[in-house]
Amino acid sequence: MPIGRMLARRLVLVVPLLFVILLGTFMLVRLSGQDPVGLLAGPTATAAEIELVRASLALDQPIWVQFGVYLGKVVQGDLGASWLSNRPVLAEILERAPATLELMLWGVLIGAGIGIPVGLRAAFRPDRAFDQFSRFFSLLGFSVPTYWLGLIMLFVFFYLLEWAPPGMGRISLFLEPPPRVTGSYLIDGLIAADWEVASSAASQLILPVLCVAIICAAPIIKQTRAIALEVLASDYIRYARAQGLPKREIRAMALRNSATPIVTFIGTEITGLVGTTSLIEYVFAWGGLGQYGLSAIIAGDFAAVQGYVLMLALFSVLVFLVVDIYVTLTEPRAA
Amino acid sequence: MSLLRVEDLHTHFISRDLDNQIQVAKALNGVSFSLDAGRILGLVGETGAGKSLTATSIMGLLRPPARIMGGRALFQGQDLLAMPDDDLNALRGRDIALVVQSPKSSLDPLSRIGDQLIRIRRAHRGGTASEAREKAIATLGALGIPDPARRMQAWPHELSGGMAQRVLIALALMNEPRLLIADEPTTGLDVTVQAQILDLLRDLVRRTGIAAMIITHDLGVVAHYCDEMAVMYAGAIVESGPVRQVFRRPAHPYTVNLIGATPERLRLGATRTVGGPPPNLKALPPGCPYQDRCPQAGADCTMVPPDVPLGEGHVARCHRVAA
Repeated sequence: MPIGRMLARRLVLVVPLLFVILLGTFMLVRLSGQDPVGLLAGPTATAAEIELVRASLALDQPIWVQFGVYLGKVVQGDLGASWLSNRPVLAEILERAPATLELMLWGVLIGAGIGIPVGLRAAFRPDRAFDQFSRFFSLLGFSVPTYWLGLIMLFVFFYLLEWAPPGMGRISLFLEPPPRVTGSYLIDGLIAADWEVASSAASQLILPVLCVAIICAAPIIKQTRAIALEVLASDYIRYARAQGLPKREIRAMALRNSATPIVTFIGTEITGLVGTTSLIEYVFAWGGLGQYGLSAIIAGDFAAVQGYVLMLALFSVLVFLVVDIYVTLTEPRAA
Repeated sequence: MSLLRVEDLHTHFISRDLDNQIQVAKALNGVSFSLDAGRILGLVGETGAGKSLTATSIMGLLRPPARIMGGRALFQGQDLLAMPDDDLNALRGRDIALVVQSPKSSLDPLSRIGDQLIRIRRAHRGGTASEAREKAIATLGALGIPDPARRMQAWPHELSGGMAQRVLIALALMNEPRLLIADEPTTGLDVTVQAQILDLLRDLVRRTGIAAMIITHDLGVVAHYCDEMAVMYAGAIVESGPVRQVFRRPAHPYTVNLIGATPERLRLGATRTVGGPPPNLKALPPGCPYQDRCPQAGADCTMVPPDVPLGEGHVARCHRVAA
């Protein structure tokens, strides 16, 4: 089917979806019982000063009025300003997003690059030693708490072995970040031909990326194995055997038929991984979007939390859109 | 010499139960039959009698826990059961073709019909893609599929059940097989389409002189389309012979009951006599497997029944049958 029609239909769905998400986060943030006013006004503020701050943040208005004003601004691309930093939320988010995307991109690439072949091999030779090992590994990846994995990584590879740099940001404290092109220090360093910066950025990436990859590979192994096993047990694979097709053709058929469900699963996995990444960012002081969101939630920085959640929603919509385009292009039944 | 000659085929399902005791289900207990070129054999029996298992055993498509315990299956003089896996794989789809009962789910959902036809031709016979394409269009056309060149572009999910079954038959015929095994080829199709598919199969055998084996639980199909029939019960053939002979003078009590239990006969006032549970393959009685349900069973039925020849190739395996 016409990809155009699929995109149009999706777009129509996205508008109400985003409205509900905006409404939901707006209300939840305000009903959470947090009151940033006292924090902003400072410990020596008088009651009058506190009221003044409250009025300046428009928090004395009825909640529906507040939402109306907020919605009007969001439609114009204004996510409001962070109360903590006094900077526009959108600018802060755009500044930090590349750090998170970089972490997730490498993590998912490595996680899928390990998870898919391992899962496939396990499915093609079920119950052999390799399958047992992969099941053990994936169970391990499922059970390990994210932050604990990060801390243990730092403890082992930084503290004990001294192989990795300390988990303090995306680049050595003694280096200047490279001129911004993509926002990824590694890629920007390479573009600027600054090898010192690039290698420092790469070595800072290794541990957190490894954490994301391990957390991400576990379910991919399990799902890939299950999907491939189901395909291998299907009528059409059994019939392909009955037709005497060569083994490699049967294998190729099984792979092609497994691809769509695996890609779909990785899509959902990526959207779920955002939460995991926040914790890893926190442990490694990564300074990305996840850490930003977590800090904003803890501090009760309403506009920042709302902007963060909106960005995540948009990100998920985008990921699913990419998955849908892939499925539409590869699946004759999707029409 | 027969094209296919199966001798004393035994297939068991070996598994472990919850107490880790080894359980053996004797699914095939000495199946023997032969099939000549140009003939259609109907294999009938109730569910679990071992009809499909006979076909999958011969074709080497068994998966654990099923295992062949003994016997031979001579195809053009070669024992299929003793053949190396790769040789057998080369034979499957080329000399022995299978048509299964779930045509829509048996086609690769991600390949167009034409590509699947071309793929099987080239996998077994080589040749160029355009040669295979011509062959595919010709085969589809010969099966009465209108506008075959356009149909080559169709995806499996776009086909009706009857059309998918024709495509499956086309796949089976792409390499001009010597033997066509059709496992419940018309189950799930409506009656007019059933008749069309079966007419097609019969014409094919008459025209090309290949041999066909139709596995079915429908005695009507056997009566109308087969030359010979074999009745299976509990993993063994209890009666076999020319269709006309067996229907006119059914000898084995099971066959008698089976024929008497068809809707037409029941309407004519026959008593319903096929009663009782199907046999437990894990604990078959010694001697005749049908003794527990047989109205004529006696003390001698605990002995292994003999194959009694009744003339013209009609054989029944029963103590009660006199030659």
